[in-house]
Amino acid sequence: MARSAAAKAPARHGRAHPLSLWARRTGWRHLVMLVFLVFALFPILFVVSAALNPLGTLSSSTLVPRSAGLQNFLQLLGGTHFGRWYANSLLIAMANAAATVFLSALAAYVFSRFRFAGRRLGLYGLLVIQMFPQFLAIVAIYLMFSTVSDYWPAVGFNTPWGLMLVYLGGALSINTWLMKGFFDTIPAALDESAQVDGATHAQAFFRIMLPLVTPVLAVVGLLVFIATVNEFLIASVFLRDPEAKTVAVGLYGMVADQRDANFGMFSAGTLLLAVPVLSVFWFLQRYIAEGLTSGAVKG
Amino acid sequence: MRIRSAGLLAATAALALTTACGGGGQEAADQPKGTMVIWADPERTEVLQPFAEEFGSANGIKVDVQEVAADTIQSDFVTAHEGGSGPDVLVGAHDWIGNLVQNGAIDPLQLPQEKVDALNEVAVEATTYDGQLYGVPYAMENLALIRNTELAPEAPETFEDLVETGKRLKQDGEVEEVLGLQVGQTGDPYHMQPFYTSAGGYLFGTDDQGNPDPADLGVGTPESVAAFEKIAEFGEEGEGVFKRSIDAENVASLFHQGKTAFFVTGPWSLGAVQEAGVEYDVSPVPGFAGGEEPRPFVGVQAFFVASGSKNKVLAEEFVTNYVTDPELATALYEADPRPPALTEVMEKVSKDDPAVAKFIDAGADGRPMPAIPQMDAIWDPFGKAQAAVIGGADPQKAVESAAETIREEIG
Amino acid sequence: MLGLAAAVALWAVFPLYSAGNWAGVGAVVAVTGLIFYVYLSKRAVPAKYLVPGTLFLVAFQIIPVLYTLSTSVTNYSDGHRGTKEEAVEQIEASSVQRSPDSTSYTLTVAARGSAPGGELVFLLTAPDGSAYAGDAQGLQPLPGATVTPSGKITAAPGYTVLPPSQANARSEEITGLAVPSGSGTGIRSSGFSTAYEGRSTLTYDAGCDCITDAETGRVYTADDERGAFVADNGDRLPQGWRVGVGMANFARFLTDPDIRSSFLGILTWNIAFAAGTTAMVFALGLCVALTLHTREHFTGRTAYRLLVVLPYAMPSFAMFLLWRSMFNSDFGLLNRMLGLDTDWFGEPWTARAAVLIVNIWLGFPYMFLVATGALQSIPRELVQAARIDGAGAWQAFRQVTLPLLMVAMAPILVATFAFNFNNFNAVWLTTEGGPFPTDNPMAGATDLLITYTYRLAFGASGAQYGYAAALSVFIFLIVTVMSVVSLRRSASLEEVHR
Repeated sequence: MARSAAAKAPARHGRAHPLSLWARRTGWRHLVMLVFLVFALFPILFVVSAALNPLGTLSSSTLVPRSAGLQNFLQLLGGTHFGRWYANSLLIAMANAAATVFLSALAAYVFSRFRFAGRRLGLYGLLVIQMFPQFLAIVAIYLMFSTVSDYWPAVGFNTPWGLMLVYLGGALSINTWLMKGFFDTIPAALDESAQVDGATHAQAFFRIMLPLVTPVLAVVGLLVFIATVNEFLIASVFLRDPEAKTVAVGLYGMVADQRDANFGMFSAGTLLLAVPVLSVFWFLQRYIAEGLTSGAVKG
Repeated sequence: MRIRSAGLLAATAALALTTACGGGGQEAADQPKGTMVIWADPERTEVLQPFAEEFGSANGIKVDVQEVAADTIQSDFVTAHEGGSGPDVLVGAHDWIGNLVQNGAIDPLQLPQEKVDALNEVAVEATTYDGQLYGVPYAMENLALIRNTELAPEAPETFEDLVETGKRLKQDGEVEEVLGLQVGQTGDPYHMQPFYTSAGGYLFGTDDQGNPDPADLGVGTPESVAAFEKIAEFGEEGEGVFKRSIDAENVASLFHQGKTAFFVTGPWSLGAVQEAGVEYDVSPVPGFAGGEEPRPFVGVQAFFVASGSKNKVLAEEFVTNYVTDPELATALYEADPRPPALTEVMEKVSKDDPAVAKFIDAGADGRPMPAIPQMDAIWDPFGKAQAAVIGGADPQKAVESAAETIREEIG
Repeated sequence: MLGLAAAVALWAVFPLYSAGNWAGVGAVVAVTGLIFYVYLSKRAVPAKYLVPGTLFLVAFQIIPVLYTLSTSVTNYSDGHRGTKEEAVEQIEASSVQRSPDSTSYTLTVAARGSAPGGELVFLLTAPDGSAYAGDAQGLQPLPGATVTPSGKITAAPGYTVLPPSQANARSEEITGLAVPSGSGTGIRSSGFSTAYEGRSTLTYDAGCDCITDAETGRVYTADDERGAFVADNGDRLPQGWRVGVGMANFARFLTDPDIRSSFLGILTWNIAFAAGTTAMVFALGLCVALTLHTREHFTGRTAYRLLVVLPYAMPSFAMFLLWRSMFNSDFGLLNRMLGLDTDWFGEPWTARAAVLIVNIWLGFPYMFLVATGALQSIPRELVQAARIDGAGAWQAFRQVTLPLLMVAMAPILVATFAFNFNNFNAVWLTTEGGPFPTDNPMAGATDLLITYTYRLAFGASGAQYGYAAALSVFIFLIVTVMSVVSLRRSASLEEVHR
C-alpha cells in the first residue's frame, strides 16, 4: 500500500526537471529541518564543548575550548559510581515506562470504550490532579516513605522499587488522555465484532486493540522513559546511597554546589545519558511511524 | 478450586519474597545492630569514607557516608528528621544551626575544655548558639583576593589601587574586566560583604553577649545607604567594576583565561586555579581608601549529631572524640584543602602551604556568618538591592525597600 | 493476578502485624478485599481495568495532595514541625549545660552482673585516677578496677564492660542516664568514652504547662495558639510545635496589600507565558512533525527525528543554566554572535522573551513526538480524498487534518498549558523571576504565581509549609478552572460526554 502510493505520486509531476522536482517534493523539507536543527542543536554544542573542557567550567562565550580532552569522561567513569548509576537509571526508566504504558492503556481502553458512572469525573480528575503544584507533595511523599521504609525496607528509601512505586502514582495522567484519544480513532466496530464472535473483553483488548495502538504506546513509552531518566527531584530524596543513585541524581549533585560545580563531568554524563534515550527512540520510532500503515484499520 | 490455587500462589510468592529479603537479614544479624549513617555533600563524601570505615571497624559497627546534593542537604535533613529517617551525623555549615535548633534536629555537644581550647576561637564562636556548642568545627573558609601575578605583581593596598591597576590593564588590552566578583542578576551578599562592611554597613548589631541581635537591623540605616552609595560608585553606571553580568558560572573562567587579573573568592577555588596554570598569589580583600576594615563572612564546616539518631552513643563518640583528632583533621585537609579549625593543624599546614596561610590571614578580621534564623530573611531582598544599585538604581530607594521587606519577614 | 495481590498483601501485613499497627493491617485487608471483589465479580468491567492504575494514583498522588491540603490550616513551618511532646523533649535535652570548672571523666559503659543485658552502669575515672561506678542512685567508689594508663577502665569485678557496638544498641538508655552528683547536677555521657557533669537548665512542668529556666528563673508558658513557649516579656523558645491556625494562612494571603498590588500583573503574565509557550511549542512541534510526515522516501528522516528530539533528551535543569549564561549581556553567546548589546535579563520585556525562547526550545520536541503519534491516527485516505476533491494542501490540512488532530491533541495542549502555568524551573533557574522593580524585591517581571508564592513561603524565615499549602490551593483553583473551561470548549468535549 505504501509503496503504491509512493509510486503513483511522481507520475503527476512527470514532466518536471528532476532537481526542481526534488526541491518541491523533499528539498523544502530538508531546508525546514535544517533551520530547526540549528535551533535545536546549537545549545547542545556547548554541552559537548564543556564535556571536552578539562577545566570543568561552563564557558558560554566560545564554542571551542582552549584545550580539549577526554579527562572528564575518564574521571566520570573511574572516579564515581557512574556505571551503577547508569544501570539504575536504565532499570528504573525501562520498568517504569513498561508499567506505565500498561496501566495507562488499560485505563484508556475503558475510558474510550465503556460508559460508566464516574467516567467524566475520572477523566477530568486525571487532568486536574496533575495541576496541583508539586513542590509541596514531595514533603508528604517523604514522610509517607519514612514510614514505609520502617515497615518494608525492600521498597523504602535507597531502593529502585520504592521510587518506582511513586512514579507509578503518575501512571494514569495526561498520557491516559493521549492514549484514549488514539483509541477513539479506532472504529469501535473492530473490537465489538470480536466480542460478538465470542471473545471476552480482555481478549478483545489484548488481541485486537493493543496491536492497533502501537504507535501511541511507543510514543507514551518514550515520553515516560525520557521523563524518568531526567527526573531528579523525587529521586534525589529517595536515593542517598552512592550505589543506589540514578544518573540524574548523581549528576545533579555535581553542579548543585555553585562553588564546586563541575560542569565538565556533568556535561560528559549528560551526553552519555542521551545515548540510551536516543537508542530507545531509534528502537521505537519505526513503531511510531509504521503503526497504522499495517493495514488492519483500513479493513 | 480457584481460590485454593490463588492461595497456593500467594504462599509461594510470599515465601519467595521472604527468602529474597532473608539474604539481607542474615547479613544484618552478623553485624551488631544498626548502621551509623553520615550525611555530607558530594565534595566531602569521598574524603570521609575511609575515616568513617576505620571508625566503624574499630567499634564493630557499619558506618555509611551518604552524599546529598549541597543545595538541599539542610532542608532534606530537617524533613528526614521529622520523618524519623534521618542520618546520625550531619556534616554542614555553621549558619544552619539556628534553623536546625528551632526544628529540634540537632543536639548540643559537650566537649571537654581542653578540646575546645585546641580549636580556633572564631570557629568555636560560629558553632556556639545560644550559649551551647552545637557542632564540632573542622574547617573554615572566607573570601580573599586571588590575583594573577603576571598581570598584577603587587597586592593592592586599597580597593582604589586595585581599580587603578585593573583599569590600566584593561586599557592596555591585557584583560577584559577590572575585577572578577560574582554578582549576578539577583546579587550576592556573601561576596559583597567585605565591600559592604568596608563602606561602613552592617547586617545585624550585636547584643551584650556578642551574639547577632535581630532587633538591631543594619539594613536601612544611614550607614547602609552610605555603603550602597559607595558600591554604586563602582557599579555599571560608575566605574564599571562591579557588574551584574559577572556571576557564579562565569567568574572563575574569566580568571582562568586571564581575562581579569583579580578574583574575589574562597579557598574552594584554589584547586581549579592551580589546574588552569595561572601564576597567582593570595591577599586579603582590599577595603576602600579611608574606609573601615573589610570583614568577610567566615564560614565554618562542622559535624553535627542528629537528635533523632538511633545510634547516638556512637554518633557522639564520633563527633566529640574522633573528629577532634589532629590526624583526621590533617587528612581531611590533605583531601580538601581548606583552613583547618584545629589550631595545631592550621599552624602546621600554614607552614607547608603559603596560599592557605594567606587565606587564614585574609579572614583574620572576618566575622562568622550569623546563624540566627532571621538571617534567612536578609539574603534575597538584600542581594536584589545590591544588584539594583550596581545596575544604576537609586541607593536610598533600593536599601529602603529591601529593609522594609526584611522587617516584614522578621516581624 | 489475584495470587500476586494476595502474596503482596501477605508480605505487607507481616511487619504491620508484628508492630501491632492495626490501622495499617486494616488498610491492607481493605485494599486486598477490594481487589478480590473487583476481579471475582462478573460485573464492574471498567473497574477491572482501572483499579491497578488508580491504586497507585490514590496512594502517591491523591494522598500527598490531601496531606498538603490538611497542612494549609496549620502553622506547619520551620520551628513548628513536630508535636508539643517532641518540642518539650528537645528543649529539655538541649538545655543541659556543663557545670563550669567541673570534672571530666573517662567513661566506660558497663552492665551490672555478668550478662551484657544487666542494669546500665557508668564506670568513671576522674582525672586523678580514682575510679567510680555510677547509676541512677549515685556515685560509688569502685575498688579493684583494671585501668589502662590512659585512664580507661577495661574490667571491674561485678560488672560486664560493654563493647561499643553493644553500648550503642542501648543508646537511648545511655543518653537518658544522669548519675546524680549533687545539687541538681548529673554526670552524663558524651559518646562512650567521656562523661561530664552538667545540669538541665530548662524543665517542663505539666501542672502549669510551662517551662522554667533554673538559672534566670524566667517562666515560659505554652501558647497553644502559636505553638511556642513564650515568656512574659515576649521572648520565646526557638523550638515550637505544630498547631491548627484555621483560615489564618488564607487570610494572610488575601489581606496582604503587597500581594494584592502585584497579583493581577503576575497572573496576566503567567497566563500569557503558559498560553504563549503552548501555542509556540504546538506550532513548532507540529511543523516539524508535518515536515517529516510523508510517505515518500525521505533520506535522513530517522536522523532528523533523533536530532530534533535531543533537546528533550537533555536534563532540563542543566539546559536552563546553560541558556542563562547564553543570555548574559556581556559574555553571553547570543549578544556576541548577533552583535547585540541587549541586557536580556535587565529589562522586563527582553527577560520575558528570553524565558519564552528557552521554554520553547525545551518543549517543542515533546510536541513533535506527540504530534507525530497523533498524525498516524489520521487515515490518509481522508486527506487524499480531500485533495482529489480539489482542495489545496493547506485547505486539506486546515479542514481535514487539523480538526482530527485536535481531537487527540486538545487534552495534551491543556495539559501543556497547565504544566507551564506551574513551570517553576523555567523561571527560577533562568531569571529567578527578575528583573525586579527597585521598590519591590518580592515581585519580578517574569514571576509566575508559583515562583512568586515560593518566594513568599520559602524565600525568607525558613520554610513555611502551611502558608505554602494555602497558596498552592489558590493556584490550583485558578489553573483548574481555566483548564477545565478551555477543555470543555475544545473539540474533545463530545468525546468525553459521548
